Amino acid sequence: MESLIIRRRATQWLCSRNSCRIKQRMLRAYSNATSKPDIYDVVCVGGGPAGLSLLTALRSSAATSNLRVALVEAQDLSKTKSFNLPPTQYSNRCSSLTASSCQFLHEIGAWDHLQQDRMTRYQDMRVWDGVSGASIEFEYERTHGVQNAGGQGMACMVENLNLTSGLLKRLEELGGVSTFDKSKVESISFGEETEDGADLREWPVVHLAGGKQLHARLLVGADGANSPVRSFAGINASGWDYNRHGVVATLQLEQTGYDTFTPGDPYEAPKVAYQRFLPTGPVAMLPMPGNYSTLVWSTTPQNAALLKSLSPKDFIAMVNAAFRLSTVDLGYLHTQTSNQAEEISWRLQHTPVDAHAVPAPVIGVQENSVASFPLKFRHADTYIAERVALVGDAAHTVHPLAGQGLNMGQGDVQSLAKTIQFAVEHGLDIGATMSLEAYNAERYAANHVLMGVCDKLHKLYSVGSGPLVPLRSLGLNLVNSLSPLKGFLMERAAGNGKVF
Amino acid sequence: MKTSIARVARHTGRRITQPSATTIRHQTTSSSPLPPPHQTTTSPLPPPPAQPSSSSTLPPPPSAAQPSLPLPSGPSSPSVNPSEISHFNALASTWWDPHGSSRALHLMNPHRHDFIRSCLSSTSTPPPSTLRYLDVGCGGGIFAESAARLPTASSVTAIDPSSTILSIAKAHAARDPSLIGTGKLEYRNATIESLDKSEEGKFDVVTCFEVVEHVDDPAAFLDHCGRFVKPGGWLVLSTIARTWMSWFTTNLVAEDILGIVPKGTHDWRKYINEEEMRKHFSKRREWDSPRVMGVVYVPGVGWKEVPGSEKVGNYFFAVRKKPE
Ligand SMILES: Cc1cc2nc3c(=O)[nH]c(=O)nc-3n(C[C@H](O)[C@H](O)[C@H](O)COP(=O)(O)OP(=O)(O)OC[C@H]3O[C@@H](n4cnc5c(N)ncnc54)[C@H](O)[C@@H]3O)c2cc1C
Repeated sequence: MESLIIRRRATQWLCSRNSCRIKQRMLRAYSNATSKPDIYDVVCVGGGPAGLSLLTALRSSAATSNLRVALVEAQDLSKTKSFNLPPTQYSNRCSSLTASSCQFLHEIGAWDHLQQDRMTRYQDMRVWDGVSGASIEFEYERTHGVQNAGGQGMACMVENLNLTSGLLKRLEELGGVSTFDKSKVESISFGEETEDGADLREWPVVHLAGGKQLHARLLVGADGANSPVRSFAGINASGWDYNRHGVVATLQLEQTGYDTFTPGDPYEAPKVAYQRFLPTGPVAMLPMPGNYSTLVWSTTPQNAALLKSLSPKDFIAMVNAAFRLSTVDLGYLHTQTSNQAEEISWRLQHTPVDAHAVPAPVIGVQENSVASFPLKFRHADTYIAERVALVGDAAHTVHPLAGQGLNMGQGDVQSLAKTIQFAVEHGLDIGATMSLEAYNAERYAANHVLMGVCDKLHKLYSVGSGPLVPLRSLGLNLVNSLSPLKGFLMERAAGNGKVF
Repeated sequence: MKTSIARVARHTGRRITQPSATTIRHQTTSSSPLPPPHQTTTSPLPPPPAQPSSSSTLPPPPSAAQPSLPLPSGPSSPSVNPSEISHFNALASTWWDPHGSSRALHLMNPHRHDFIRSCLSSTSTPPPSTLRYLDVGCGGGIFAESAARLPTASSVTAIDPSSTILSIAKAHAARDPSLIGTGKLEYRNATIESLDKSEEGKFDVVTCFEVVEHVDDPAAFLDHCGRFVKPGGWLVLSTIARTWMSWFTTNLVAEDILGIVPKGTHDWRKYINEEEMRKHFSKRREWDSPRVMGVVYVPGVGWKEVPGSEKVGNYFFAVRKKPE
């Protein structure tokens, strides 16, 4: 059996190696063979939330601060760092940070570099079934009274750019990162034997556009869902496309008095996140400071295209309808190419709505903030290979309905940074598979369970009629009446539990 | 560099013991409570006790099978056993395979550093800011490499009698440019007896991990190692207690039944108990502050420190040379 395992590994190795050899040969013609290799302990490809948090964690810990680290990012990071918008505008890519992500950002000294007045905490989460009307309300403060590091509340809404900009500021303060931004990774190959006798034939070499080459003791793939690092390592990612798009937008709400907004103090208001399951996918409205909100509406690509084509007035009406009208009405409205606003205002007059159970009416949508992203489910077969580790979306892409994607990445980074620190303290080679095993063991199972739950929830609620509908509303009503179970689910949403 | 006959015996594959069972004392020689010099054989020794007739009836603790004759070892090789060396040469190729026969040793390695750290921090005077290490019986270099990467190590001298294994160690170290460029890590094909006298008393930490159970005259071997320790420095080792349980787990289960440790890796009769180790050093005035840490291998998890388990299985042991 052992020989079988070895053979399988060998073929896998050869595949990725052969293709790299060809590239290597091609590149060698251009590279200066006598130049000394530029050797880094960690080369992180990808300066998104995952990559930047990892580097911040490594730089902020005494044990790992001696590592020579490099960051490679295709985009212009100076633009990210100088992210600055007036308080009346919000980026359309927002994430809900769990309490444990907030805690981690505190620990690595990044939290205070985020623009605090652009974030908001929310204490309540209202989730209901669009078909049966069954609902569940999570009131974190009242059931738990837990104080989180980021303040109180179960989660914190933040613009992704506020997070990455804050992380970059913290990294600048810490210093010591060789940053190659506006540089795309062109290819990754293996090193060679050097003149002074170093054998770098199993070391990844990252080739940047422009000819720069970085040798990596540990190559970290924080390079998103289409990770080039994952492809280099020959790690397969299996999954499926949901045939759904996530429509995002920045919205302005009417001031109803129910969500009492306190200008200048975004943490004071008892904010609520709303999510309604529709047969096409969940629609969620998550609070931002003041009377702003961010929309994440997963729906079919056709519906998404329609929503993006609507006038602001019709788009606003559709969002209000999504939280109020019946699924039958909504289905009809999606067949119309325009003038939804009138149709909806007429239908709303004939639909009884509990104003306290739905978000305040939307009154505005920020210009150019309506966009959509295809939704995928992908999970890499493993997060590690010799001299390679994957974090964040490079390792797993999940349906956004539970708002877990970015948080799973923060969990990965925390675990990988801890694993690297252990290796450094014990003199281990931080790129050796043996040193990275703890990271894979800690994160793989935890993510897998969480991803499975998000996926199953999506499937369960994508059904418009049939035996699942009464069953699932029973489920939600049951969960609502069982406070211990609700508490458990809330803990999960707040990121306190380790495994679902 | 010497390439002569191999001398000190070597690291092993994995050995697995669990706490429980009783400790069996055995006859010792007058000079040391440690087992007497061992007969050199040309093939690995069979397990000491008779094979159990069935899995339910196990043999008595095999203390009776201890060789009672204090046989002299070869004239120039108080500790060497050629059969041990050829055995480890055969294992050399899998040394750095994380899923190979040395996996348990790799998993053990961080505990070695933790134990050394606990020794260094136990003294009233702070340890020197940089340390010179001597690793005796370094094998493929699992410990030596890791020690050389520590910022607190000023140099690591790693010796082994097997040139085959040393070539594996050197080839592996070459894969890490931080190890070859600095000259911090030096491999020598040598035995402790063949090291230059001028280096005696020069090392802050002298280590011999999983070695004493493979040498023919452990008392002489440890005395030799001790000479190289600087006053105030530490002699640190790890080995397995000679108990019914360790015989059962390392020889019978690991080698014979499961086959996870290559057959012939262990000669149970060479195992030394922790109290014998203590006694050996308490008789020598230059040593004090003995420290011990028992560890247990938990399949699927790795090594766990278990206080008291030094009585029955794998343990770390250290003594400090009295400062001048
Ligand atoms: C609609 C939607 C809503 C979401 N809502 C939430 C939410 O509420 N909560 C939540 O936790 N998560 C949410 N997510 C998920 C979250 O946005 C992602 O999980 C997160 O951005 C992943 O971060 P990352 O750093 O792993 O990858 P990314 O943010 O994708 O970063 C990868 C980086 O790598 C760079 N890169 C890629 N290839 C190369 C190359 N060849 N060379 C150089 N650089 C390269 C890219 O430029 C990019 O900057 C949502 C996702 C979607 C689509």
